Amino acid sequence: MDVKYMNPFIIATQVVFKTMLGIDVKMGRPELKKTRQTNGDVTGIMGLAGDQRGTLCISFRKEGALHIYNTLMGDGCNEINEDVIDAIGELTNIISGQARKEFEKSNINLKAAIPMVVVGKDVEMNFITTLPIVSLPFYFSVNGGNEEVMYLDFSFEA
Amino acid sequence: MKVLVVDDFATMRKIIKNVLKQIDIESVTEAENGKQALEILKNEKFDLIISDWIMPEMTGIEFLKACKGDENIKKIPFIMVTAEAQKSSVIEAIKSGADNYIVKPFTPEKLKEAIEKAKVKVMQGFGG
Repeated sequence: MDVKYMNPFIIATQVVFKTMLGIDVKMGRPELKKTRQTNGDVTGIMGLAGDQRGTLCISFRKEGALHIYNTLMGDGCNEINEDVIDAIGELTNIISGQARKEFEKSNINLKAAIPMVVVGKDVEMNFITTLPIVSLPFYFSVNGGNEEVMYLDFSFEA
Repeated sequence: MKVLVVDDFATMRKIIKNVLKQIDIESVTEAENGKQALEILKNEKFDLIISDWIMPEMTGIEFLKACKGDENIKKIPFIMVTAEAQKSSVIEAIKSGADNYIVKPFTPEKLKEAIEKAKVKVMQGFGG
């Protein structure tokens, strides 16, 4: 996978986490995803179209999703509910927007669809391309110093 | 000051409402998309509209164009708050009549600044 496809998602994730949540994320080693299933318990999915067609997913474990929601809203929610699902959908939307801004710098213009959110681990996802899916892990600390991870998976057409 | 907040995500509507509350604006009505917002605007008067872009039923840009094409509501300041960060999107919104354009993610200060500017406009008598 050309690095020009990876960098916009890395920059977007770092900017969005820092600006909206005050969280510094640490990126792990990119990998090719071996399955088409969700990594975490709450996953935002968005189709991309325009100069290229692709799919973007961001996935959190329950603890990570709750931490994101509670940090964003100043809440103390401890179960995945409609509000948490909504927040992860909006986060997907915002990361996509920032990434598309970065893609524009490489003359790749992308439009996004309305994101959908899937709840459940190992749920089959419908990536609209048949190319390998790249998975970028982003680590962040949650209450008590535990480390959580957000997986950002993406794939484009050739 | 009465504000209409239009966004399909409840999370973002809550975030915007919290920012409005911080600057003593408590009179806020919510809509989930442009179509719903236009219905509300038929019956209520507002001093400011804050709208997302990508929404089901009617997008923010369609909603903006509808507002600017309506004699009764075209003078209401319109702030677009959206994840659409591309230059082409900003240009399209401004050309369509948006008074301000804020890209998500935003800091509360950024939104407050835009609202304060809109408030001045309202107080000067340009509101609807």
